[in-house]
Amino acid sequence: MALYNFKKIMVVPTSKEFIDITLSKTQRKTPTVIHKHYQIHRIRHFYMRKVKFTQQNYHDRLSQILTDFPKLDDIHPFYADLMNVLYDKDHYKLALGQINIAKNLIDNVSKDYVRLMKYGDSLYRCKQLKRAALGRMCTIMKRQKQSLEYLEQVRQHLSRLPTIDPNTRTLLLCGYPNVGKSSFINKVTRADVEVQPYAFTTKSLFVGHMDYKYLRWQVVDTPGILDHPLEERNTIEMQAITALAHLRSAVLYVMDLSEQCGHTLKQQLELFNNIRPLFANKPLLVVANKCDIKKISELTEEDKKIFADLTAEDIPVIETSTLTEEGVMMVKTEACDKLLAARVDSKMKGKKVHDVLNRLHLAMPAKRDDKPRPPFIPEGAKVGRKTMEVDAPKRKTERDLEMEMGDDYVLDLQKYWDLMNQDEKHDVIPEIWEGHNIADYIDPEIMKVKEELKVKDEEMQEIRQLAKQIREKRKMKIVCSKEKDVHGPRMPRTVKKVERKTLEKEMGGLGLDMTGKDAVSRFSFSSHYAVNARRSRSVTVLKKRKREASVAPTSRTRSQSASRPPRDQSGVRDPKMAKKAKKLMKSQQKDMNRQGKKGEADRHVFDLKPKHLFSGKRKSGTNDHR
Amino acid sequence: MPQNEHIELHRKRHGQRLDHHERKRKKESREAHERSHKARKMIGLKAKLYHKQRHSEKIQMKKTLKMHEQRKTKQKNDDKTPEGAVPAYLLDREGQSRAKILSNMIKQKRKEKAGKWEVLKVIRTGKRQKKAWKRMVTKVCFVGDNFTRKPPKYERFIRPMGLRFKKAHVTHPELKATFCLPILGVKKNPSSPLYTTLGVITKGTVIEVNVSELGLVTQGGKVIWGKYAQVTNNPENDGCINAVLLV
Repeated sequence: MALYNFKKIMVVPTSKEFIDITLSKTQRKTPTVIHKHYQIHRIRHFYMRKVKFTQQNYHDRLSQILTDFPKLDDIHPFYADLMNVLYDKDHYKLALGQINIAKNLIDNVSKDYVRLMKYGDSLYRCKQLKRAALGRMCTIMKRQKQSLEYLEQVRQHLSRLPTIDPNTRTLLLCGYPNVGKSSFINKVTRADVEVQPYAFTTKSLFVGHMDYKYLRWQVVDTPGILDHPLEERNTIEMQAITALAHLRSAVLYVMDLSEQCGHTLKQQLELFNNIRPLFANKPLLVVANKCDIKKISELTEEDKKIFADLTAEDIPVIETSTLTEEGVMMVKTEACDKLLAARVDSKMKGKKVHDVLNRLHLAMPAKRDDKPRPPFIPEGAKVGRKTMEVDAPKRKTERDLEMEMGDDYVLDLQKYWDLMNQDEKHDVIPEIWEGHNIADYIDPEIMKVKEELKVKDEEMQEIRQLAKQIREKRKMKIVCSKEKDVHGPRMPRTVKKVERKTLEKEMGGLGLDMTGKDAVSRFSFSSHYAVNARRSRSVTVLKKRKREASVAPTSRTRSQSASRPPRDQSGVRDPKMAKKAKKLMKSQQKDMNRQGKKGEADRHVFDLKPKHLFSGKRKSGTNDHR
Repeated sequence: MPQNEHIELHRKRHGQRLDHHERKRKKESREAHERSHKARKMIGLKAKLYHKQRHSEKIQMKKTLKMHEQRKTKQKNDDKTPEGAVPAYLLDREGQSRAKILSNMIKQKRKEKAGKWEVLKVIRTGKRQKKAWKRMVTKVCFVGDNFTRKPPKYERFIRPMGLRFKKAHVTHPELKATFCLPILGVKKNPSSPLYTTLGVITKGTVIEVNVSELGLVTQGGKVIWGKYAQVTNNPENDGCINAVLLV
């Protein structure tokens, strides 16, 4: 498995669930209706289908389990060994073997019973055979209860293992319990491993990642190892041993100088020598931890000798303190450099490097003359590189300030603001003014707008003056014209009678030829209109209305309706035409009425037989609605 | 704690909600109401299965309660294998009442009648499918090891290969254990001697089985390797032959 993603394994159901799921699936997904009087081949096919369907389901599900679980021979030996330690290889293989056997048995059962069903003469016989077949398959599954439970537990634990890539750059921490391995990994990476004063706080492998030289490094924290022979080791220690044995990494053996872990330096050295064989071919580093309590220089002579020996064997010993972070970075850089060198070495010795080397060529330019031409490095880069190497803080951070001031510290971000007037930095900003929310009125461009407005202001002044004058003049005019009220209260235009003379004069004035009876009659009230009679009467009875006489028109409502004809009579010449028009209207509406439409714009399409009410099996419930 | 158990780690570091225990208690007390609501509202096949399961659960609960009061009630134990011999003074308690036996018998007879059909099916042959002298056996049968068919033109009784069985599941009545033993032959079929000669196995047929697996020995020290057994089920309906050893 290239990705070591054990999280993709499907859930393994319990045996009872498995049976329930498969049987209910068969009941739902195969046809359910069969009668005695159907033809025998149809009955046989119906029951054979059920048997085959159940077998197919079991087969698929079991095959999926078998393929999902990793084969111990196919995965990286680190993971194979880890799984052996955690889950016991034999038990694991047996469980999977049982599942395989169950799968084959179910296939055989189905084959047998399908064969028998060909000789089924009646519905009863076929039904009993199907019942026997399904029952047998389910009994086989019932017997797999233990295997399925075990596999489910394995799956849950497997998906929780940390993803350790066995091939990438790794630093491995090992040593006695409580020496400071987990504190170290907490300092160097972002892994949050529990650190407690009792031994065996870390009970499994933990992984953290860090960056160095633009590369990603894995740091693996192991549970502590005690000093006894391999056979007596328990599961927790065995995980550490497995990691040591299979991961090609730099090993950091952590020792406790102050002996607070409960073991003397001598014992720690013993352990170191005992597991020495596991460190073969791996870059090794000894980390002397807890040096804030006791330094190497403060140790006794024989203890000092231990470290001197180690250094003599070319194993770097570095003092660190995970509490004060002294030396942690040094350990990191040493270990990483050593591992990189070892990896490059092994790659050079390998076979693949040659085809790369053949294509690489370092070109050295030949000297033209004696003028020196050194490489140009800009000043900024030099400064930057220096600060990076020195690893000193560049400016005082807020955090440092907080540590200094302790309880007095207050976070004051306003001191960093860049204002025009530096005194205003610590001013309180008002939020509400005169009932308005200031935040609503904030405009970042306010200064620019102000400038523009100032320029426009002068022009605007003159325009405003002019506008004011115009307004005043207008008002005066209106007042004057209102005073000239000659006519008094006026009647609406519709009531007024139009005199023929005035009409002729007006229209003549406009250039329209009013001579001839036809012209006048056509223009004003032609023979086309049904109110012709009324109108012509009113025209001939020319009477000038005087204000004093105040003769009201014959009937106000009638004259009003006379001037505005109803819609079904406007444009209609005579009753015959009116009747025809009405008939046409009715005939058009007939069709719409028959279809129950609200009007001519009603285009709604009714769904009288919705599909969801008329399809599907008759499930539980009443038969009222279908 | 393993590295990626985030929930448990958070719980360890920050504790739980302030009202966690109260909520948990209330949820647990609400369970009874929710379960009863579910049981009342469920319909259909799901409900039937649920009610059946719940019924057996309730029986067990009642027995446990009774057990706390009196110590003599026995509870159903899945792992224990059932006992063998039953002493005579307990027989009455475990035997069924007469009425029940009678009703069972009647039901059995009715079922048999319903499922009865011809053992030999008529096969039509000939150019115009008019000849009807061939017969096919429709029940499970046994043919011996050295059986060879007669030439197809002359064979009268067809015993299809799909219905030939070689093994039977034989129960020893005293040991209460079942073994899958090979059949040696059909001794007697109660329905008809014709069936015996044909080797048809129906319910009640006496068959001979190979019991060398059981390792029985006679008084004289000879190994018993063949015994009679009687068939107890309808093999054509169940697809297997279940028999009881005749000791």
